[in-house]
Amino acid sequence: MDLNIRRKSTRAPVTGSLIETYPHDLQMYKIPPTENISLQEFETLALERLTLLRSLATATTLKGLRAYSDEWKEYVISDLRNQGLKYYSKLFEISRCGATEADLQARRKDHIAHFILRLAYCRNEELRRWFVARELELFKMRFINMSGDAVETFFKLNNLCYNNISEEEKTEIITFLRESTSHPNIENMKFYKVKFFEVLDLVKLRKVFLSGGYAYIPHKDFVSVLSAQFRTHLRQSLAVACHHLGEIEQDERLVCLLKGLHQSYTGNNYADTKAVVPIESLDSLSVKSFPLCMRQLHDQLRLAHHLKHGGRLQYGLFMKGIGVTLEDSLRFWREEFTKIMDLDKFEKQYAYNVRYNYGKEGSKKNYSPFSCLRIINETVGPGDCHGCPYRHCDVSNLKNKLQGYGLDPQAVNDIVDVTKKGHYQVACSKYFDAVHSIDLGLGINHPNQFFEESQKLIKGEIKVEIKKENKATVKKEALEEMDFDEISEWN
Amino acid sequence: MVGQYDENLLSDMLPIYYTKFFPQNVFCRWLSCGSSPQPLANRELSFTLADDVYLRYLSISNQKELQTLFQKKCPHKLDIGAVYNTKPSIARHDSVVLARELVFDIDLTDYDEVRTCCQEAKVCQKCWKFMVVACEILDKALKDDFGFQSILWVFSGRRGIHCWVSDYEARTLDSPGRGAVADYLCLIMGGENQSKKVHLGSDNLHTSIRRALNIIDKYFEEILQDQEFFATADGLKGLLKLIPDEALRTQVEKKLEKLPESSLERWKHFVNVYEGYCRENGFAMRKIKYLVEEIKIQYCYPRLDVNVTKGFNHLLKSPFSIHPKTGKVSIVFKPNNARRMKLDEVPTIHSLLDDSAADSAQHQNNMKTSVKNFQEVVFSLEKSEAMRRKTDANISIDF
Ligand code: SF4
Ligand SMILES: [Zn+2]
Repeated sequence: MDLNIRRKSTRAPVTGSLIETYPHDLQMYKIPPTENISLQEFETLALERLTLLRSLATATTLKGLRAYSDEWKEYVISDLRNQGLKYYSKLFEISRCGATEADLQARRKDHIAHFILRLAYCRNEELRRWFVARELELFKMRFINMSGDAVETFFKLNNLCYNNISEEEKTEIITFLRESTSHPNIENMKFYKVKFFEVLDLVKLRKVFLSGGYAYIPHKDFVSVLSAQFRTHLRQSLAVACHHLGEIEQDERLVCLLKGLHQSYTGNNYADTKAVVPIESLDSLSVKSFPLCMRQLHDQLRLAHHLKHGGRLQYGLFMKGIGVTLEDSLRFWREEFTKIMDLDKFEKQYAYNVRYNYGKEGSKKNYSPFSCLRIINETVGPGDCHGCPYRHCDVSNLKNKLQGYGLDPQAVNDIVDVTKKGHYQVACSKYFDAVHSIDLGLGINHPNQFFEESQKLIKGEIKVEIKKENKATVKKEALEEMDFDEISEWN
Repeated sequence: MVGQYDENLLSDMLPIYYTKFFPQNVFCRWLSCGSSPQPLANRELSFTLADDVYLRYLSISNQKELQTLFQKKCPHKLDIGAVYNTKPSIARHDSVVLARELVFDIDLTDYDEVRTCCQEAKVCQKCWKFMVVACEILDKALKDDFGFQSILWVFSGRRGIHCWVSDYEARTLDSPGRGAVADYLCLIMGGENQSKKVHLGSDNLHTSIRRALNIIDKYFEEILQDQEFFATADGLKGLLKLIPDEALRTQVEKKLEKLPESSLERWKHFVNVYEGYCRENGFAMRKIKYLVEEIKIQYCYPRLDVNVTKGFNHLLKSPFSIHPKTGKVSIVFKPNNARRMKLDEVPTIHSLLDDSAADSAQHQNNMKTSVKNFQEVVFSLEKSEAMRRKTDANISIDF
């Protein structure tokens, strides 16, 4: 099987020993692998990498640990060890340029597996975003944990050369550097000048001094420059890979494998649904089966007969996802909005939006309802009611709201406590348990998932479902572990 | 004057306005430069016609075509979109957005939770001061921090201002880049459910925030007196909600209730109580280290509509178009003149066309000044474009 999906110009050196191909633990994955591997190895490598990325996702979004913090790192490492992925836990812990056989094999697997997952994750925007986010976390963590001499080698290997600013220049701007850089002891650091768009993550957080279009960064912040390059390159490659999928997917077995891979993790994107929900039932559904983000939009709409753009989008797509038809949806919005405006205005300014959500206007895409990740990261401005209430409400406000809904005071306190710690999705799960008077501790990562779980529970299906799911995963893990045993003998 | 303005006459007046007053030549040059190296024809324009019919993906190759299009369609609203890889009217499906000015939109309705003089669509000279502050802060940041030079400031025609950055680096900035610039400049965050919208943490204040605060300080007391933020019971409650520390909040409440209603007085006392409290309770400092600054920012810092800035192909009202509801011209102004700008001296289509109108002469004059302001920005943009092309050529020769 040939993995190469690259453009003609970047043909990799096929010859050469492993040490020439893989001199360093940390790779930028510029050149795709060209060797042939068995379908079995292909599958194993894919699943192992997926486990790794999944572990990162759990740490960040479900456990709510701060990315790159010590707890975060520890969680991932111990998770990888538990899953029997010793080589990934090693690569993750520290990056060096050792040359033992185990080092080289680990790098080879890292390299190939990364490219396999590109194929599985290039299919649509949602998947790409998830994949890029995880690979980026991985890359950053590994860069941060590079040993001193490895850093130098890394720069050399990747032809990265930057010149630091002179002492005079530094003295001139030292107050600004002190104000705007988030490192202690900047007096002893060398500073480099790069264009502001090379370090967007620092710009975004206002953690760098900017002047005349340049960002002044110490050596430590080069992780930003490189991860930005890494991200751009990866995004482009995914777009290219997507175009070439047809060629690769001539092998039926591969198609199944690659497609199944992402479904096994990200689950449904809720863009197409079979159920039909009449709008008359929304009021009652909103009480139990809507997560707080949607319940609050629903209430606001009933109260003010209006929602701003962000709210219409978030709620409209959710509604589509639970099975409200386009006709019903139009009727629903129309009935509310025309309480404060005339029909003409609604038809001209808002009906388009509703049809757009259903892929009937504009670019005619079938938009998927937003996931929690997306909603939590929304920008919420004055007058907006969308977003995730655990993230975008004052604590006192949240508390009042929950009390107002008649939730048990203990539950309210629990929810508020985890919210304060920034674990929004955990709070959401606790809210789920509270409104259903149950103790499930689901991992919530999509409002529509919240809805479906709630419906299952209400209709009495959940018990069966949970068992089924558990069994399925247990089996799979057993399988994966078997593979790992074989592999660990090589190490 | 606005009172005499009648929306129904617009269809008769607009053709004359577009021919006689709209600076077609400069406009085309500005857009050409801003589209380069793509031709002007790849730029999307969109029109809204008298009966609300909305035409997208229009484009022009030169001034003559613009004039013809104006006469044929007589747009009531004129918006500018992005630069595509082809003419936007053809092959819409595989067209790609290549460039677009970096734009900012600030609208006074987003100040409704702080301004007391007007609400919603209304504006007056008092709330215009928010725009003055916004313009000064942004202009400085765009120039000093990001190194941009071709910055055009436009009055939106009713209740806000727009800013267009045409520098090559700004036009070709990708979506994440725009997002980062927007986030860098956006300090007020949160919706209906969050009272406190500014959080500065407890580390050093970033250089750009310090600079913004210096600008706010020039206007703060004046705005405070204009708006009387804290004079009413509600206003006072609003202030108290921003104090996260309970003990301090109680102290402030006790103190301020007894005072006369003047917001300035109340503010000064608040600062006093705050400082005293900090002296006594060093330990509580972290959470409220920048409380005073946070409050100033919440009341006066620019409230950007970040979605407009982040979106690569958001359509935005063109400079020198007529606002269909007010009849006012979207004039270009100089940021250092914003302070002196009077809203009722902004030319309207009516006063421009009717020589006998009372303020006609003054409006004509202001229109001329505004076109001159526009020219200045376009000239300097043309110069830097020429330089850029020269350096680019040199670099490719070097290779
Ligand atoms: S965690 Fe997700 S589902 Fe729950 S409220 Fe937030 S965005 Fe909605
Ligand atoms: Zn006012």
